[in-house]
Amino acid sequence: MTVDSVPLLRLPRVLSGSAALFLFLFSPAFFAAPCVAAGRSETLKIGVLAPLSGPYAAGGTSFVQAATLAVEQANSEGGVSGQRVTIVVGDTQGRVDVAKSEALRLVSREKVSALVGAYLSEETVGVMEVAAAERMVLIVPVAATAEITDKVRQEYDRYRYVFRVGYSLPQWAELIAAFLSDRKVGRYAFVGAGIRWNRELGETLERIAAPHGITPAYTAFYSPGNPAFDTVAVAAAAASPDIVILADPGRNSVSFLKRLRESAPTLPALSVGGALGDARLAASVPLTAPVYVQAAAWRGLSPSATAYVERYEHRYGAPPVGYSDTLPFDAVTVLVAAWRTAGSVESAAVVPVLERGAFPGVAGTYRFDAAHQAVWGAGPAALQGTFVRWERGGARIVFPPR
Amino acid sequence: MLLDGLFAGAAYALMAAGMALILGVVKVINLSHGAFFTLGAYVAYALAERGVGSPIAAAPIAAVIAFAFGVFLGKSFVNPVRSHPFALTVGTLAFALLFEQAAQIVWGPHPLSIGAGAPWIGPGGLVLRRWGVIAFLSSAALLGGLKWVLSARPGLPLRLIAEDEEIACSLGMDVETIRYLTFGGACAMAAAAGALLSPSGAVTPTMGRAPLLLSLVVVIVAGMDSVAAIFLLSIGLGILGNACAWFLSPQWSYVALLVAVCLLLSARPAGIVALAGRRD
Repeated sequence: MTVDSVPLLRLPRVLSGSAALFLFLFSPAFFAAPCVAAGRSETLKIGVLAPLSGPYAAGGTSFVQAATLAVEQANSEGGVSGQRVTIVVGDTQGRVDVAKSEALRLVSREKVSALVGAYLSEETVGVMEVAAAERMVLIVPVAATAEITDKVRQEYDRYRYVFRVGYSLPQWAELIAAFLSDRKVGRYAFVGAGIRWNRELGETLERIAAPHGITPAYTAFYSPGNPAFDTVAVAAAAASPDIVILADPGRNSVSFLKRLRESAPTLPALSVGGALGDARLAASVPLTAPVYVQAAAWRGLSPSATAYVERYEHRYGAPPVGYSDTLPFDAVTVLVAAWRTAGSVESAAVVPVLERGAFPGVAGTYRFDAAHQAVWGAGPAALQGTFVRWERGGARIVFPPR
Repeated sequence: MLLDGLFAGAAYALMAAGMALILGVVKVINLSHGAFFTLGAYVAYALAERGVGSPIAAAPIAAVIAFAFGVFLGKSFVNPVRSHPFALTVGTLAFALLFEQAAQIVWGPHPLSIGAGAPWIGPGGLVLRRWGVIAFLSSAALLGGLKWVLSARPGLPLRLIAEDEEIACSLGMDVETIRYLTFGGACAMAAAAGALLSPSGAVTPTMGRAPLLLSLVVVIVAGMDSVAAIFLLSIGLGILGNACAWFLSPQWSYVALLVAVCLLLSARPAGIVALAGRRD
């Protein structure tokens, strides 16, 4: 007997196709964070926390790409005592609550051996609590708030598992002040997204730059979701600064710079922590005045930096921006090196190794101080980073003087 | 500040024109309108990658593509589901999210950017905001054209359907076809706006969200009857937002703008055109 296959509810073919596509795109599988873990017991897992959706998705994606590259390099060098290393990613969405719940998921369900992240300072402070409660090593690549290292200093026993490879705000401000001094800047405008690290960096820079005779002419922060660029760009230009410092790690940095160029075509700009390290974005901005970018490392800064840039470019088809990718790469590299030295992934064994060791990375050699902050600055043993200037055909390193 | 407000308002008006058309004729809240703005920007980017750097050349191509998509969406989804307004609104939102995800898959989450071109520097070193001027002129032309169409003979079916669908049907008009063609036309307007303004900022999957909200606000407050009211209110909100950013803080501009809208709506729920006694 044959059965008539006419369905009770008939959907137009084109709609049924659309429905299938809809169901796929909105299925949990589609939205699930990319998971690199192989799930084998002999695999060592690193939990990586980064925003893969929301306003900071671009930075978060670079973060994960760099971490992936770092574990691939570690595995090509034999892994850790013969064990392969993988990453398991948690999408923080740029939100504190999500960052904390993802950190808990990575620790309790994915059984990671250490955490790397998060991206924003707000998220990272939340993740610190999870790391402290679980007594798990947390390497902080980019979040710069002082609260992270202050907690380690003040409550060492609780937070001793937390180490930061990225610059602290005072270190960051020192690097910027040294660059501004080198460029003979007297007055600057500080603008950016109204998020925590920007505000704290603005305040810290004002304090640290003052002894150099460098003062702010204008300071403003715009909402990352609905930025009011026009007024900020006009007001920044009207304050007649020598340079505009643009602190925005997201997509708004290029939009703001375009608006600024329309208001003040000859006003130099310095992008810190932003997407303007991307050559494709920089190429779309009129270079009627210098556009500088601060980066942890850049092609040509050192052999290891050049090798990293070439590897990244070969793998992902575009060069790294030098900040939200380079520091996560180094965070994973430092962690793996500490595991190798300790001969274990247990926090009790790894923490003393991180406290006492020196770990080579792309940006230089990392050493941690008593607050578990990597030593950046102008000292001979310090990591310095670099400042580049975009020109037609590429970027040129302009600071530190070479 | 006034000039920048004018330019910002013109950008809102570009989006609001299409939104008003859909709300007036199709009588649905189309939350996918911002996705068509984004589509236009990505079309402009794709063309710029292939050597067509002018957004003025990209706008008609983007409009044609968006019209085709809009007609498809209007015919296959909006018209059949139109009698269930809540489901339709959620459906258009789902389409917008679907488009954002698709854009992220195709172009990635990283912001893209089209060359903004050198600034226009006039006599005496006066710098003109190129993309502000383009937004203002495009907006004036688009809204002027829409006003002309609506007031002339070709716009009669649209006016009649907006006024009373039953009468339009009784006169033998193919209301269903006019609805989805109008939907497609409005989507084309949004895409043209996205293509025209794409070099002024970054091209991202979610770039259509803020213009969608602002255009919705403009249409709700100005009402759908008067194209001139839409244009003037857009300009007014642009100047208000800029004034708040200038005198208070940039972070307050958006809040102040929405507070002003809430106050206006609480005073005149039917929209500001009612202030002049034209409708209630």
